[in-house]
Amino acid sequence: MELKLPPHLTPAQFQTALKDFASVVGPGWVLSSDEDRDAYSDVYAPGDAAQWPPSAAISPASVEEVRAIVRLANRYKTPLWPVSRGKNLGYGTAAPRLPGSIVLDLGRMNRILEVDAALGYAVLEPGVGFFDLYEHLQRTKTPLWMSVPGNAWGSVIGNALDHGIGYTPYGLNARNLCGIEAVLPDGDLVRTGLGAMANNKAWHVFPFGYGPTWDLMFSQSNMGIVTKAGVWLMPAPETSLELIWDIPEEGDIGWVIDTLAPLKIAGVVDQSIFIPSWLGKIVLKGQRRDFWDKPGAIPEWRVKELLTQYKLGYWQVALRLYGDEGIVKARADVVKAAMARHLKTPPVENWWRQGDPVNAMDITMGVPSAVPLQMSDWIGGRGAHLGFSPVVPATGAAVTDQLKRSRKIIGDADVDFYASFTIGGRFANNVNMLMYDRDDAAGIAKMRQLFDVLITETAKAGYAEYRTHLGWMDKVNATFDFNDHAMRRLNERVKTALDPNGILAPGKQGVWPAAYRDLSGGGKA
Amino acid sequence: MRNGAIALVVAVAGFGAALAQGGPHDAGPPTYQMRAPESGGDRLAASQDAAAIFSHRCGYCHLPAGMGTNLLTKQQVLAGNPPAMGLLTNRNDLAVDYVIAVARNGKGAMPPQTRVDITDAELKAVAAYLAKGKAR
Repeated sequence: MELKLPPHLTPAQFQTALKDFASVVGPGWVLSSDEDRDAYSDVYAPGDAAQWPPSAAISPASVEEVRAIVRLANRYKTPLWPVSRGKNLGYGTAAPRLPGSIVLDLGRMNRILEVDAALGYAVLEPGVGFFDLYEHLQRTKTPLWMSVPGNAWGSVIGNALDHGIGYTPYGLNARNLCGIEAVLPDGDLVRTGLGAMANNKAWHVFPFGYGPTWDLMFSQSNMGIVTKAGVWLMPAPETSLELIWDIPEEGDIGWVIDTLAPLKIAGVVDQSIFIPSWLGKIVLKGQRRDFWDKPGAIPEWRVKELLTQYKLGYWQVALRLYGDEGIVKARADVVKAAMARHLKTPPVENWWRQGDPVNAMDITMGVPSAVPLQMSDWIGGRGAHLGFSPVVPATGAAVTDQLKRSRKIIGDADVDFYASFTIGGRFANNVNMLMYDRDDAAGIAKMRQLFDVLITETAKAGYAEYRTHLGWMDKVNATFDFNDHAMRRLNERVKTALDPNGILAPGKQGVWPAAYRDLSGGGKA
Repeated sequence: MRNGAIALVVAVAGFGAALAQGGPHDAGPPTYQMRAPESGGDRLAASQDAAAIFSHRCGYCHLPAGMGTNLLTKQQVLAGNPPAMGLLTNRNDLAVDYVIAVARNGKGAMPPQTRVDITDAELKAVAAYLAKGKAR
């Protein structure tokens, strides 16, 4: 990828800055070749990856190096785009929002600093991946389970900071953070919560500070660079029971939500309950052309044939209970009785007990896997995906309303419909997966237009995305419009006060420092 | 419709599970394949343990039942090769430059790997390991 300089910098200034950055991290960790820029671009970009070009990447190994880089970035006015491991696939990967930003790749800061098996937490640097932590827990025989996302290639801290979700009782990953250390945009270093006291022994077990509590200020944020954090982990259960129901009809989702959400809210079910539509199962069986070889959405009659042929319901509920056997059995009786009021077919039951093998594909048991990314192969070619992800109340009426709306919009665009709802508590995360071939320009143009319509129409109905791709960060931010976008105005006042030079992730989530506000513009750089 | 192909890929998907369990006749669920721990020392220097680097850096996807293994197994079977060729360590047709090019540029569903994901020295060692002595 050709060099796109940071705004307002001359080539000579840029080269001088890189030389100074190299004096901090060593020349081998300043990555500024065309090949490096390609690798840090959005490899899943809907359209040309050069829309969000980095100018270089720097990879520090310690908090001291991060602080030195931030001070230099202020001196040279080089915007930095921090990534933990840069695997935010579908949301921009490692690429920056502002063209020419330097990616700050924290992947080398990958120390597991502490694991407390009794209290159930770990203290991690941002470069620690889900695979790294899982293997550490296995090797040390530590009886703790992680909450892993669908694609577990990335960072434990990075995923939590980006409001990622998992599928165990600890499925709200940002809620698991407890005690954050962050470098501020001027190079200062803070610790949140009780960590604001030097050597406080309860930093990673008590979730508040004394006075205002700033932890989530650093999530989906450009207010600081998180250099370590405490993460709560779930005690490994004695047993676990998986209950699987195939839910026959699309319209059944209403009663499914109204049955399961109250059980989740009451604590009978404690996991985040993932309910994917049929396409989520069939993507693992082959490519689209194996099932339907014509352009346009797979027609209804063919969907019905496929569901029959592969013995799939339109939805699947694979619910998991955790704990001592007596508790699990009692909870299972309540859940099965509730479901039986609507569905005569009993669930498939899979018991797991301590010592049994764990299915490596089962993310509800905290095992990291990259296999769900196989869905990229569904379309064929250089496959990729975008997720449209609004949050709605966990009621049958709200979920059905959301389903009908996105179903119609996606159907009108003649695109395959692949949705899931995850009941995380009083809400359901709806992810509509849009898959495309990166070399199909017409298909990408259709996806982008479709994404625009989904955001606009869903906002009109009173719902917003919880997370989005670089190209729509401003557009989604604009949907938060209470009192003339008061939240954006607050964020930008804080941002500009903390970061007058605007060097830290300008434009992240649509929050711009005054220094670069004029470069926002319409959702795309 | 290519129903033959569907049957094939379903069979291949099951192969990953069989591979993880140690044989095609024991088709339980695949178990997690532990990667080698990260090698200590200077990642920018040469002469490291290539097998361990491959396991640690590429093992997210290229150990038994990994995403890359699953997709490559499908490709290999469709090309008339044994399913075991889905594992890169079983391949006899990989060349050093090819491995380096695929890692740096990506291929199909595989994204390019940065030089933090795997350094030039590490990739050179892995490429030589996978190429089994073939220079090009």
